[in-house]
Amino acid sequence: MKKQVDILIIGSGAAAASLSQRLLEKDPNRSILVLEAGIKVPMKDYKLYQDYLVTGTYPYQFCEDLNYPSIFGNGENVPVGGNQLQLSGGRAMMFGGSTAHWGGWSFRLKPEDFQLYTNTQIEGTIDWPISYDDLEPYYGQAEDYIGVSGDSTDQVPPRTTKYPFCEFPYTLEDQGTIEAFEKLGLDYAHMPIARHGISDTDSPHAPCKTTGTCKYCPFGARYFAGNFLDEMLKYGSFPNFEILQGAIVDRITMSSRSKATGAVYHDKFTTDSHTVEAETVIVAAGSIEAAKLMQRSVTPEWPEGVGNQKNNNLVGKNLVSHPFVYWEATLPENPQRLQPEMDFPTFISRHFDSKEQQPFGKFLTVRLNSFSDQFNMTTNNQVSTLTKAMQTGLNREEIDAVTTGPLNVQLITQVEVFTKTSNYVSNTAPNVINHLGMQETNVHYVPDSGFENRLDQIQTLLNPVFNEMGATNFRKASDSIRADHAACVTRMSDTPETGVVDKDLKVFDTDNLYVLSNGSFSSLGAINPTITLTALSLRLGDHLNSK
Amino acid sequence: MEHRKYNRKAYHAADPADVAVSQAIFNDMWELFVQIGKFWGKTEVVEDLRTDLLVFMNNRIAMDPSYLYDYKNASEVIKELIYEMGEEKGYESLFTDKSILDDPPTTLKARARQKVSNEFIVLYLSLGGFKDYGAENSLGYIGGANIKGKTPYRTIDK
Repeated sequence: MKKQVDILIIGSGAAAASLSQRLLEKDPNRSILVLEAGIKVPMKDYKLYQDYLVTGTYPYQFCEDLNYPSIFGNGENVPVGGNQLQLSGGRAMMFGGSTAHWGGWSFRLKPEDFQLYTNTQIEGTIDWPISYDDLEPYYGQAEDYIGVSGDSTDQVPPRTTKYPFCEFPYTLEDQGTIEAFEKLGLDYAHMPIARHGISDTDSPHAPCKTTGTCKYCPFGARYFAGNFLDEMLKYGSFPNFEILQGAIVDRITMSSRSKATGAVYHDKFTTDSHTVEAETVIVAAGSIEAAKLMQRSVTPEWPEGVGNQKNNNLVGKNLVSHPFVYWEATLPENPQRLQPEMDFPTFISRHFDSKEQQPFGKFLTVRLNSFSDQFNMTTNNQVSTLTKAMQTGLNREEIDAVTTGPLNVQLITQVEVFTKTSNYVSNTAPNVINHLGMQETNVHYVPDSGFENRLDQIQTLLNPVFNEMGATNFRKASDSIRADHAACVTRMSDTPETGVVDKDLKVFDTDNLYVLSNGSFSSLGAINPTITLTALSLRLGDHLNSK
Repeated sequence: MEHRKYNRKAYHAADPADVAVSQAIFNDMWELFVQIGKFWGKTEVVEDLRTDLLVFMNNRIAMDPSYLYDYKNASEVIKELIYEMGEEKGYESLFTDKSILDDPPTTLKARARQKVSNEFIVLYLSLGGFKDYGAENSLGYIGGANIKGKTPYRTIDK
């Protein structure tokens, strides 16, 4: 049986949730269908919370990609030709999307990010077809919608509105880093973080209670799109708003080159195929799945997949994500018994996320939790030094020695990398299905040959910070490129010669097909993309509402 | 059809009524929890936390009924250790024996340590046990909201 709706949204993450909200605010009776390939995992469940607390395993972990196949066991997806991008751990394919596991770091792009090519002349890069000023009002609205706690006096980048909630003060752990940055004349700031605060509104969202288990918040205080969608369904009085789970979209349907008519999907449990007809189609899946869906949507007018122009086939190309680089050094002692008291950082620096650094790959710097030198602790691990010490059987005196002894301090940098058409994602053969029932991914990402040099430069820039802190044995602890911030594979441009969608996120040469994902970023900058994506969603909502 | 038993929310197939912890086992587990505080803490574990422990144990059992047997096993292991070494040394052996950390546990004592005692340590710390070691907040502790002047963790300004 065919369904007919005004608007079909594919995917149920931050983009889908914020866009639906904006559209239904204007017209609560609008018929909107959201198709989500994944399923709903219970949230705000105390049993699951305690299980996460004890085991460190979050209950939606099964919604992430498996590792690539290897001699150690079965895996999924295909790393092609020296690929260095990890899909595993980078995205969550479920109701609510990757906001299930995101950290909530809520940075705006800077004005210069919108003019990457103009500022750098780097081959393969482009400018955004919109400016920071175009997006600035929507950034403020996105921060309100998501619920960001931040420092409203921070004008880097410039802002015309206040954050809805005040910033989290610097922790005692931040002190040494702050002193070092001040001595060196480097800028720093409070982390803008997606944690709800105390509000005098009738918001259904609980404030953060600093529980320190953010990847599974027992209160729902960190923005998770699934919670917001649930609340819209429960309390929104939107009679024609529907979300289907386990609905894997096989292809977008088109009646001509310009007119999208809907989509064909199958129920992953019954395998039954269904057709949806829609006046407007929004692809709001994550970057990688959005590009793959468009590649699969082959029609006579789009023989290489919808959005792929004859001369360039850009859908799926220009893949970028952020290299996460962990820098570490050791303080000789820890007389204040510094230890993580939160699960999110409070100190950040955008000093090197600057126009001056832009040609080389600008980078964000964030102070992460410190940990005892005695235990080989990893970042984002909810097990504290104290837990580890007690569980391994140290007695009180031994633990006192550990908690006051040498301390490893850490900074993480996220580095901007530049688009190249040679980096891409694509579909595997149709019968190669991952553990969630979705077609697997071919992925090829190889950094520029100069990337290792850039890491050396960053190490040189950060070395004085650790020196000022009195830390020794400064080293690069690890670096990895994960798909968390995968972007630009359906990028926005002035022209179909260099991009897939226009400044309104509409696929070139179509009238009613939009791509709302990080894939539509023209460039990624050095920051986490979610607030920018949400701002684009709200902007698209206004665009559609004005029609 | 909502009233049908098969529509109940479930983590496993066991009937919740069949997997409830007995008062005797709970008392033994409470004593274990108190001993964790005595061995590592400066401040005593307060009676108020009994309910937290019971909720925790029932939640673990609700997730996986085998915890019912792990709590029963821990009770028996502790009794044997106390019989053999006395109370203080018995608990110390359970808490500090480095030979029982193999993963997965291969003896009943190791299982009592890893599936019960070590999980209780996480609960103990998350309920405030960490405060003996200098911090104001910790991972798992419900410290409270970010209110100006009452920040629920150590800050530079304090």
